[in-house]
Amino acid sequence: MKFKYSFITIFSLILLIFSLLAATVIGSVDLTFGQVFETLFICNENQNSGIQNSCSVDPVYQKIIWEIRLPRILMAFLTGAGLSITGAILQSVTRNPLADPYLFGISSGAALGAVLAISVFSSGIISVTFGALSGGIFSVILMLTLAGRAVLQVERLLLSGVAVSFMLGAFTSLIIYYSDPDTASTLLFWMMGSFSNSQWQDLLLPAISITIGFILFLIYRSWIGAIQAGDEGAFTLGIPVNQLRLMMLIICSVITAILVAQVGGIGFVGLMIPHISRYIVGSTLHKVLFMCVTIGGSFMLWVDVVAHSLIPDQVLPVGIVTAAIGSLFFFLILKSRGRAL
Amino acid sequence: MSSIGSSLNQQHSSAVFAADKICWLVDEQLILDCLTFEIKAQEFVGIIGPNGAGKSSLLRCLYGLNEICAGELTFQNKPSHTYTRRELAKQIAVVVQEPPTHFDMKVSDVVAMGLIPHKSLLAFSSPQEQITIDNAIEMVELSEKKNAAFNTLSGGEKQRVMVARAIVQNPQVLILDEPTNHLDIQHQIEVLQLVKRMQVTVILSLHDLNIAAAFCDRLILLDKGKIVADGSCDQVLTQQNLKNIFRIDGQIDQHPFHSGRRITFNFTDGKVNEI
Repeated sequence: MKFKYSFITIFSLILLIFSLLAATVIGSVDLTFGQVFETLFICNENQNSGIQNSCSVDPVYQKIIWEIRLPRILMAFLTGAGLSITGAILQSVTRNPLADPYLFGISSGAALGAVLAISVFSSGIISVTFGALSGGIFSVILMLTLAGRAVLQVERLLLSGVAVSFMLGAFTSLIIYYSDPDTASTLLFWMMGSFSNSQWQDLLLPAISITIGFILFLIYRSWIGAIQAGDEGAFTLGIPVNQLRLMMLIICSVITAILVAQVGGIGFVGLMIPHISRYIVGSTLHKVLFMCVTIGGSFMLWVDVVAHSLIPDQVLPVGIVTAAIGSLFFFLILKSRGRAL
Repeated sequence: MSSIGSSLNQQHSSAVFAADKICWLVDEQLILDCLTFEIKAQEFVGIIGPNGAGKSSLLRCLYGLNEICAGELTFQNKPSHTYTRRELAKQIAVVVQEPPTHFDMKVSDVVAMGLIPHKSLLAFSSPQEQITIDNAIEMVELSEKKNAAFNTLSGGEKQRVMVARAIVQNPQVLILDEPTNHLDIQHQIEVLQLVKRMQVTVILSLHDLNIAAAFCDRLILLDKGKIVADGSCDQVLTQQNLKNIFRIDGQIDQHPFHSGRRITFNFTDGKVNEI
């Protein structure tokens, strides 16, 4: 079952825009599309030019939209899109359908960094974000160092990643085990992922890294496609297979580390959305990447909506909702696909 | 003096590959042991030999995946290692043993990869390229499966797709590693006829000696990493070689349908089987 690509593109774009708007409207304070539209496109311009009163939206609502919801929603979108495209690339260059952005223990490295920042340097000398970012990047460096020459073989590379992941995970558990209950619950909540504390300035680094990554993935798409078809075949086409794979791994790691540092551990999106995208548009890489942005972004927005509205006056950790919705969705896809084949 | 020099030169320039005592080892084990041979332009050369003789290793040396550890390998009169991978890829197309199986890629996507060596990363695909791809797919008679997933094809169709990719690559030399593996007899012949029509230098490894006799201009027989025989099919496919290298008795006679040889194996003990 393959649909026409142009139709799917337009449909997925509409879905994304609708999801963005819907996520802005739905929340503990229910707004209307009209209020959101007015706030975004009319009120703001008037504020800038100093003209008042043509804007009928309550300033409190404006504040909710501009300072709470928009940063949170854009962070959700960036996370969904970013984890999905890195997942797609990692699955291609390792030719492993189970590869995901947390392949090299980036998630456990970031968790360890965050844990250290919260519990050991609790005086706030370094922020959780910075701790997580350094932890994530450290895990990648550690993995590449430990793997040594094994980097040249995909299977051994993946195994080294798993080993690093468990090693760092053990340290994190150890620290949580010895920390006081308050710190422990803060850490656990952080590890389950959340968009709630996102500020405008937090969006900058994820946005830049994802944009650069996306452009590089598009530029190298034909080479990545050839690697996806096999290392030896790619070699005979004149592609520097190992160097390219290493470069892609590092780009993906940086994007993931930046995202994990901001929003915590959100699993499954990076694994699942690429498969769903391939199911819809086939495995031509630039189409898959585009689908990952729109579908991955929309999916994360709805996850955020559900996390905020499922239980009144309470925000569920995003990681839990992602895994729950995601796995159900994935089963459906696998089932329908099984029938089609 | 000068005439000898020029004739030598001429002889040299017609050689696509010239290997002079090349060796290749893995974990201190010599896989290819001092091979010397030349392959001329437009030749159709079959590499034959028992399992583990070094056929694939030799082909990999030719297309640069294996780096030789001794001797000299020249390609188009220049040492092979002085070429960049991209330069080699523009002139040598390879059909490797393992076809791609991951993430159901489309047939036309796989074929389009043949353009990679000739194309800048930043170039957009042009309508001209699409025509090249479509023509290649038509040549291998898979036009109606152009948009099918590669995984859903049969073994013979997959191999034809890989040949189409090689056609798109527009090489001077085509190297195929056991291209007839897993194919039924009709598709074995089809694939090789297709390759023959490309009119380029072809170097391929084969197991079926009758197929080798029917298609190759020349055979190189390998055993335990050494060249045991190198020459025309008549010279290489002898009863002695069958017995000593392949360890099977056989009768070799004129093929009833083409000018080459026919080999009839005798696997009932001792007595030669007449058909």
